[in-house]
Amino acid sequence: MTQFKPGRDVLVVGVGLHPFGRFRGKDLATLARESVVEALKDGGVRWQDIPVAYFGHVYYQGMSVGQTALGGLGLTGIPIINVENACSSGSTAFWQAYWGIASGVYDLALAFGAEKVPGGPVTVTAAESPERYIGGDHMMAGYALRMRRYMEETGAPAATLARISVKARQNARLNPYAHRKETYTVEEVLGSRLIADPLTLYQCCPTSEGSAAAILCARDALGRYGLDESRAIKVMAAALTSGNYNGRGSDHSAFSPYRTEPAAMAAYEMSGLGPEDIDLAQVHDAATIGELQQIEALQLTPKGEGWQAVAEGRTALTGDLPVNTDGGLLAMGHPFGATGIRMVHETVTQLRGEAGPRQVAKAQVGLAQCSGAGDVTTVHIFAR
Amino acid sequence: MTTPAETTAVSIDSSRLRLTNPEGTTGSLLGLRCRDCGIYIFGAALFCQGCSSDNLESVELSRRGVLYSYTIVRAPPAGWPGPVPYVLGEVELPEGPHVLAEVIGSPESYLKIGLAVELSLQRVLAGASDRARIVYKWRLVGQPPETGPEEAR
Repeated sequence: MTQFKPGRDVLVVGVGLHPFGRFRGKDLATLARESVVEALKDGGVRWQDIPVAYFGHVYYQGMSVGQTALGGLGLTGIPIINVENACSSGSTAFWQAYWGIASGVYDLALAFGAEKVPGGPVTVTAAESPERYIGGDHMMAGYALRMRRYMEETGAPAATLARISVKARQNARLNPYAHRKETYTVEEVLGSRLIADPLTLYQCCPTSEGSAAAILCARDALGRYGLDESRAIKVMAAALTSGNYNGRGSDHSAFSPYRTEPAAMAAYEMSGLGPEDIDLAQVHDAATIGELQQIEALQLTPKGEGWQAVAEGRTALTGDLPVNTDGGLLAMGHPFGATGIRMVHETVTQLRGEAGPRQVAKAQVGLAQCSGAGDVTTVHIFAR
Repeated sequence: MTTPAETTAVSIDSSRLRLTNPEGTTGSLLGLRCRDCGIYIFGAALFCQGCSSDNLESVELSRRGVLYSYTIVRAPPAGWPGPVPYVLGEVELPEGPHVLAEVIGSPESYLKIGLAVELSLQRVLAGASDRARIVYKWRLVGQPPETGPEEAR
């Protein structure tokens, strides 16, 4: 895979979040704008200095919503690019902002994402697609197929998968921005309504509304914008891939989590770091099985052994490999366009040592992995 | 009154399923084989998904495969025209491709990863226009009676 070499260091200087949940009275542009204001405040960046912005969102809420959102801060005439890359729309916007700076085109950039989303099972195809008759276009059914196969191949018990949901809720309880904060037990997770066997409701992420924003700056341009490095976090790698031949015909739902591997390998190579250097990870846990298979694809555990790391408590806040420290998609919630940048927000917050009650002990290097339909994967690595 | 459109069977996707009689009760799954790298693709493609060659030949894929995984969908996606719950199977064909489709005619308790399944066609009414389409499904080979202990109603 061709990967451009970054010409300069790029830092995240500001991050912002709008709480995740349901906000009936707020339109997408308003939701989006609020996290941008938070990110500007967090970084001490002046809106008038932002020269380019990338906006991730998926569901149609009118055209060029990025322009409407940022227009509310004052029209400055900058390029604003609306990005749709399924559940990795936000992380794709971040990737674009990173490479805009790394390539030398811009010194400063804004990436933000937001979502307003209907309830019910998520589908990928257009309404009249043959998939609707065939019955395969069902995100959680796709995860359920993988989960049954994984359990068959590895012997992972259902109770261990349920522990991933229990941990997600425990982490989210320490996070004021999270959609789902009430905790429950393994038995309650397994006893909740079946969505697609063996996946129960509490093992599926909610669809949520909310927004997230990040501001990136070249290290050599900090002074010009009056910014300092004291709370800045360096982007060590930014990788984005789409699916390649999966041997599985045209059914998109039969995707494999191991599509993550090419992006992971590119990110490790770019950063000069390896899985052993990762102190904490935010991964795409749209369902419990997603978290397991992503940590394996990232080589944070050997293949087929991710469930043992869960069973041993290694992925908890107090473990040696904390995963989805803010609650992840499972409990933080999943506003598609915002999720990838929410992962950046959590990673930056942890690496700064500002995560409060959910702060992990060792936080020098953090990884954020986000998946999207079309087998899109982004992997970003950050370091203090 | 019936119109010809209602009586002539129409495949859900002519690049994946070719019907071999007017009633749509027989047919075969279609795909492509790459003459350069040898891989098989289910359905349509202009270029090989493995090596990007355009040297592709149309082939009929096997009528039988193996259940790679399955799930019982209890919260159906928007537009699903069939019964709820339904069994969704991921089936691995001998040629390689995996084909997702409903597994029909078997009680849950009979399902198991690794079982042999075969192609079965079903007429489905769906969509805003209520068009009938012939959809490919899977059925266990040498399957047990339609109504097992768990499905008795």
